[in-house]
Amino acid sequence: MGEQQQMQPDLSFIKGVMASGGETVKKCYQCATCSVVCPLSTNDSPFPRKEMLWTQWGLAGRVAGDVDVWLCHQCGDCTKHCPRDARPGDVLAAIRINAIRYYANPKALADVFNSPGGVVGAVIAAAVLVLVVAAIWSQITGNAFPFPLNHEGKVEYHEFLSVIPIDAMVLPIVAWIIYVLYNGVSRFWNDISKGAGLPESFSGTYPKPSIGLLLSKYLGPAVMEILSHSRFQKCGQTAERARGHLLLLWSFIILFAVTNYVFIAEDLFHAALGLISKVTPLPLYHPVKLAANVGGIMLIAGILMVKSMRTQKTQEGVLSSAAPDWVLIWLIFAVGATGIGAEVLRLINIAPIAYPVYTLHLATVIVLFLSLPYGKFGHLIYRTTAYVFQRWADDVKAGKAGFGLEKAVGASH
Amino acid sequence: MAKIGVYIYTGDGIAEAVDVEKLIKVATKAGAAVAKSHADLYSPEGVAMVKQDIDAEGLTAISLVGMSPRYEYKTFDFPGVYLDKTGIRELVAWSHRIDPSDEKADSKKEHVQELAEDYVRMAVAKLQKVQMPTPDKLEAPNTRILVIGGGVTGMTAALEAADAGYDVTIIERTAALGGYGMQVRKQIPMGPDYSTLVNPVAPALIEKIKSNSKITVKTETEIARIYGAPGKYRVSLKAAGAKSEWDAPMPLTPEEKLDANGKELSAEDQKKVYAAKNEGRNDYMVEDANGELFGAVILAAGWKPAIPAEGEYPHLAWGNPNVLTNHQFEQLAKAGKLKRPSDGKEIKTVAFVQSPGGLNDDADFPYTSAVTTMVSLKQAKYVREDYPEDGKAYVLYQHMRTPGQYEYFYKGLQDDAGIFLSKGAVTSVKDNGAGGLTVTVEKTLLGDNITLDVDVVVLATGMLPATKDEAVVNLAYRQGPAFRDLDLFGGYCDSNFICFPYETRRTGIYAAGPVRRTMTIEESMEDATGAALKAIQAIKAAEEGHAVHPRTWDFDYPDFYFQRCTQCKRCTEECPFGALDDDEKGTPKPNPTRCRRCGTCMGACPERIIGFKDYNIDVVGSMIKSIEVPDDDEDKLRMVVFACENDAYPALDMAAAKGLGWSPLPRIIPVRCLGSVNVAWIKDAMSSGLDGVLLLGCKFGDDYQCHFIKGSELADRRMANVAETIKSLGMEPERVKLVQIAIDEYDKVPGVIDAFVEEIVGMGPNPFKGF
Repeated sequence: MGEQQQMQPDLSFIKGVMASGGETVKKCYQCATCSVVCPLSTNDSPFPRKEMLWTQWGLAGRVAGDVDVWLCHQCGDCTKHCPRDARPGDVLAAIRINAIRYYANPKALADVFNSPGGVVGAVIAAAVLVLVVAAIWSQITGNAFPFPLNHEGKVEYHEFLSVIPIDAMVLPIVAWIIYVLYNGVSRFWNDISKGAGLPESFSGTYPKPSIGLLLSKYLGPAVMEILSHSRFQKCGQTAERARGHLLLLWSFIILFAVTNYVFIAEDLFHAALGLISKVTPLPLYHPVKLAANVGGIMLIAGILMVKSMRTQKTQEGVLSSAAPDWVLIWLIFAVGATGIGAEVLRLINIAPIAYPVYTLHLATVIVLFLSLPYGKFGHLIYRTTAYVFQRWADDVKAGKAGFGLEKAVGASH
Repeated sequence: MAKIGVYIYTGDGIAEAVDVEKLIKVATKAGAAVAKSHADLYSPEGVAMVKQDIDAEGLTAISLVGMSPRYEYKTFDFPGVYLDKTGIRELVAWSHRIDPSDEKADSKKEHVQELAEDYVRMAVAKLQKVQMPTPDKLEAPNTRILVIGGGVTGMTAALEAADAGYDVTIIERTAALGGYGMQVRKQIPMGPDYSTLVNPVAPALIEKIKSNSKITVKTETEIARIYGAPGKYRVSLKAAGAKSEWDAPMPLTPEEKLDANGKELSAEDQKKVYAAKNEGRNDYMVEDANGELFGAVILAAGWKPAIPAEGEYPHLAWGNPNVLTNHQFEQLAKAGKLKRPSDGKEIKTVAFVQSPGGLNDDADFPYTSAVTTMVSLKQAKYVREDYPEDGKAYVLYQHMRTPGQYEYFYKGLQDDAGIFLSKGAVTSVKDNGAGGLTVTVEKTLLGDNITLDVDVVVLATGMLPATKDEAVVNLAYRQGPAFRDLDLFGGYCDSNFICFPYETRRTGIYAAGPVRRTMTIEESMEDATGAALKAIQAIKAAEEGHAVHPRTWDFDYPDFYFQRCTQCKRCTEECPFGALDDDEKGTPKPNPTRCRRCGTCMGACPERIIGFKDYNIDVVGSMIKSIEVPDDDEDKLRMVVFACENDAYPALDMAAAKGLGWSPLPRIIPVRCLGSVNVAWIKDAMSSGLDGVLLLGCKFGDDYQCHFIKGSELADRRMANVAETIKSLGMEPERVKLVQIAIDEYDKVPGVIDAFVEEIVGMGPNPFKGF
């Protein structure tokens, strides 16, 4: 007689997955066709059959400790070949949404950031916040409100809200996001460490890598894989989805870089330290501005490709989309559209429309990033973590890392 | 003397295979008054040609030599003229194709021609012997239908029969109608949405019964005896549980026929034991003048829940108050929200155990089937209905049996978040010390051995048929009050599941519902409808004087030449349908409406005094003797094949149609059933110089396919005796052989024939050839 597992199905977990796009999970009858056809599944730990089974049985703990959930890109090969229409790809997507919620805090915000109504409400709330701060700011600067013009009589967002109030508003939010994510990712790491079948020490503890080791040895290759989307492109049914997603990813990287340039140059060196004169708005020929505009266009193009691919693949029946998928797509689209819109309206100088659009841009950006620990956007963090974990865990299992071995391994490199 | 017309069909390749002119000459020489051929015999022109000859020549018997008798069976119908068919298209032309480039083509053609000529001779010989059957109509048969059992099956059968215009009496042993149908909380859905249970159907049926003037209900009543035959049953009823002088007498068991030393008692002593055993009961041949008359009986006696014995299933903690049978759980569910009888605690987690054998045996509980699987699924839904928030039901199975439409039900329940299904071996159930039970399941779908803490465990125990422990029908028949060979089928009232559901081994008594196999309420209702129709057919058949299924067209019935009867009782004992009663001396007393016309009695009779007008010892014997046996040609050995017309003969037809062929040496004679093959025919064959006899019949045993249940098995037993006789004549007993053939084994049957021929050729000619 082997080891016995006490089963205590968590009904709320099953219902949660079924309610967020995984309503077919109970149909699975364990034939394992999915694991066989999955182009991303690994030999050592094939998926998604086991995830289907665990979810059917409400084994929330096992699913939470399962890194394979995050190695799935919802290719839809399993869904296409499933003889019972249990749609494993969609179920795993729902599991991921639930996993993000599981690691989020407070969890109620996950419901907000995964529902269209919640996100619209959040954008409105953020817009009100921006307007309130802008109104207060206008009292301090004495600028007109809500449609201030600069000395040339033109729209200039600096007049509406300079970097100081923006940072005052955004930096605490960023700090909160980092706090929640750090919390969630460490719990996630612990869970997948337990679930990955890593060798235990005599004291029953699992190996734990140092942050330094992860950053130096494992993050780099994982990020390279993500930047090339080499894994996503292995998808059979939906490899085309990787193209739009890759474009989108690169647009985020470009926009992240230009935002950081502006943050450092304008917010830090100019506004905070007074080392240089005001840099924004950048002239259109400025390389950073060029990059920003290219990034903005890439973002719009990327998200539209993602959307049309998702629509097409949904029609083909190889994947289905739940609210969190569309919420994220429309939110990113809104960020891009309001960003480009604000710039164009500023240039053609239509203040009554430009400032509301700018307000919406700030609001959608805030909501997008605030959704990082709560909504589908969180896959950026958790999937990256999973990629890093998988590389490290493979080394541990091969005896190349863990319990201090990494030092020796590191030395040999 | 019959005036015979032989008509040879020349289409479908027959004219190419044989010399038709020669066949016509053979027919004429054999005694046909008219012999003709037609290229399109089965067309209106062909029919008209035959009709003209009948009118002009006064033909009394017609033989169509062409297509198999299984085709075009309604094309020719001339009242008063005996019609017979010989399938030379299949048995000669299609099964003996000759490749013209074959160097032996000429000699092969000669064989084929001789084969066809023999079939023509046999056809004429048969017509020279047959007589036109005359129906034995029952005068004013009683048309009332008796339904035994007032559950859903019985009520449905009664309503269906009443709707068809028949008067029905339902007898029910308990005080009220409804049966188990009134004891369930919900029923399994038979239409969308498949995941929602439906309300029981029984109350509505009871209302319908009450308002139906054609239906009489007698509760707390059971059968003392059923005397008589279809169309004229005389039924003695009695109060449930009471004793009656009309209780059907019980025949002696094999043990009771032996003395203390194990020796068989003399006939006189047996009579004494019998009389003592049945003291106070009237002889089975005595009719109760006060009994009620019925035309047919529907047996819907149902089932009772199996309850494991004390101490059984110790590893499943049977005896623990929280381990229940599915029946006990249904009672809890019917009583209200699920609460544990032991302490009143809400039942929120339940393990349903389908298979009790642990790791050793994956069988389900005895007397179960798909029904018990579905009952577990249904009861799992009760847990979810009562506790939608946190109710959990585990169905632990070795077999998930949800046939047909029930698959939708399974799928519907599978989608429920709180129903957990896993294959696995339940190895232990133990008190968990916290008021519940811990269930250990090994080899689960989860890949692990698991334990589950549950409030109660439900065992998917079986449904015991009412006929398992008692006769129920209490027939006053020579062969006893109960159905025969019930132990072959675990006590289920015998009926052929696939070919003839409802048909019991007692003509006129049709079983429906769980008395014949486990089934759900929904299936029972469908079953009841079928049985009601069968009962009506039986009454109609008695009225019109023809047989019931599977020979519904047959107006003939067996004749007995009693003067020569030796009272050997073989026919009365061997009749698969108990059609023959007997008198004090043992002379058989036929009941034509109980008879299915299989001819088993004819095959059994050593005195050859039983026969039908168109199928008897002489008819078939003459066919055998008409075969031309060359006595000096070792290449032209001759065999006869008796092929059961129900399975083996159609298999031959199919083989021929598929282009398969066999040796041209044997001649095939279709028989009603191998049970009708009399040893006399074997002797006829051997004394005519034929070299071997092959019997092709249906499979027998507990999964028998014999249309007359015992025919092929009895033939097999008789042939063992024949082998002894043949041996005593100095011949090889292997010259007579019986092979079981299923109807779908068309691909095998030519090989069976060829192997037999090869064997006979190996033995050489019949040493008595030419004498």
